Amino acid sequence: MPQTEKIDLFKLHKDEYVSPKKPKFVETKPAKYLAISGSGSPGGKEFEAKIGALYGTAFTIKMTRKFEGKGDYVVCKLENQLWLDDDKADYSDFEPEQWNWKMFIRTPDFVTNENLVKAQKALIEKGNAPEAKQVKFETIDEGLCVQMLHVGPYDKEPETVEIMKAFANEQGMELYGKHHEIYISDPRRVPPERLKTILRMPARKVKPD
Amino acid sequence: MKRSTEKVYVKRIMHVLVHIQKNLDNEMSLEELAKKAHFSQYHFHRIFSGLVGESLQEHIRRLRLERAASCLKYTEKTVTDIAFDAGYQTHEAFSRAFRQAFDSSPSEFRSNNTLVTQIGKTSIHYKDNVQENDITILIGEEKMDVEIKTIEPMRVAFVHHVGPYGQVGIAWEKLCMYLGKDGLLGGQCQFIGICYDDPEVTAPEKIRYDACVTVDENFVPTDEIAVQTIGGGEYAVTTHFGPYEKLGETYSKLYGQWLVQSDREYRSEPGMEFYLNAPDNTEPEDLVTDICIPLKPKK
Repeated sequence: MPQTEKIDLFKLHKDEYVSPKKPKFVETKPAKYLAISGSGSPGGKEFEAKIGALYGTAFTIKMTRKFEGKGDYVVCKLENQLWLDDDKADYSDFEPEQWNWKMFIRTPDFVTNENLVKAQKALIEKGNAPEAKQVKFETIDEGLCVQMLHVGPYDKEPETVEIMKAFANEQGMELYGKHHEIYISDPRRVPPERLKTILRMPARKVKPD
Repeated sequence: MKRSTEKVYVKRIMHVLVHIQKNLDNEMSLEELAKKAHFSQYHFHRIFSGLVGESLQEHIRRLRLERAASCLKYTEKTVTDIAFDAGYQTHEAFSRAFRQAFDSSPSEFRSNNTLVTQIGKTSIHYKDNVQENDITILIGEEKMDVEIKTIEPMRVAFVHHVGPYGQVGIAWEKLCMYLGKDGLLGGQCQFIGICYDDPEVTAPEKIRYDACVTVDENFVPTDEIAVQTIGGGEYAVTTHFGPYEKLGETYSKLYGQWLVQSDREYRSEPGMEFYLNAPDNTEPEDLVTDICIPLKPKK
């Protein structure tokens, strides 16, 4: 499909979305997102319904603004954070039923709360995504991160995270905060061994004991 | 059962292949050849290119060059006459095409001792007075993932597009904008393209295409957005991974390799493409498209 000039935040901030085969430090800046949270197994019923609601909201806002002559932009790729209630242990050591997650899509700063409310109303009226009312704006600020491309099934991500950890440790750094994934492939069709996901983990200097 | 459909489709193409070799001096249109093989132009070209491994035009052009090479070796005809017989108006144009195919100029080729080599990736080559049993069609061994699915009729909002396939994005932009602003792009809707023509056969400005999004019974058509019901019946479905420019290769494989070996026959209705991700936030190599070709009910 031919492209008219559209704002594409992934391309504008391409330094933040590198997908290196070896771990790399990336400096990220605070950014605005549309987000929806939940818990339980990714791929489960709640997760699927909320992905639909998040995408639906993002597209409804974009298309409404476009219709109103306010310019066009690309709806960015889906991202997700995973964590456990106590926030200390590694999520992957526990059953997916215990995971918390937040899915989000980067959104231009000029998108207003009014735009969001209008889109939610339109979606809910049409009965297309009742969960849309749970979509919120959020600013996520992770600062310095280690980033690496993971190729393969999601349940093999801990192996890539180990490589990222070792890399950070070599530099006197440690990973902390929530496990963050940026989806490049579509898990509905791409076979698990070919799935591409950017993994991003915030990093900080190890405090001396 | 399996052999019989294979024979029917292959036999019909075989008939055309012999006809082509015997008529290299004549103009042959896709329309006329499709008629000869009892196919619609759309299906003929896809089955032909899928089975033979090249488009009809490439096939005719290559055979004319192979025949020219053979004439250079085994006849006294002048290069200019041979060029003309091969469909080239000038010596230069012929030399250029000949060099590209045989890596030598026509006169060098005539005077040196090499034999006429066969060109192209296919198993089908020029032969004097060719007969059907001189031609072998190789059917790919590579397994293709194809699923036969019943697709229930779907109500869709759509925008009709006439023009180059590469510009169907214009119809999509319009459709998504009007549906999106009304909250109709939520949750589970599907994005479907209906292709009435084969971009490799029909002139770009005449390609007909519908950009469709599934809607429920409450949707009321507007001046911009129409409604129709599509689907219904059985389809052979395969997934194409990668850029839309390469969809044609997957179509050719589906028609020319899978279909001719299956026990099914196509139904003369347009195929459908289901777009599983969006081209504006996906790299071309990561695009995923389900291609569906309609099948006749099983006998």
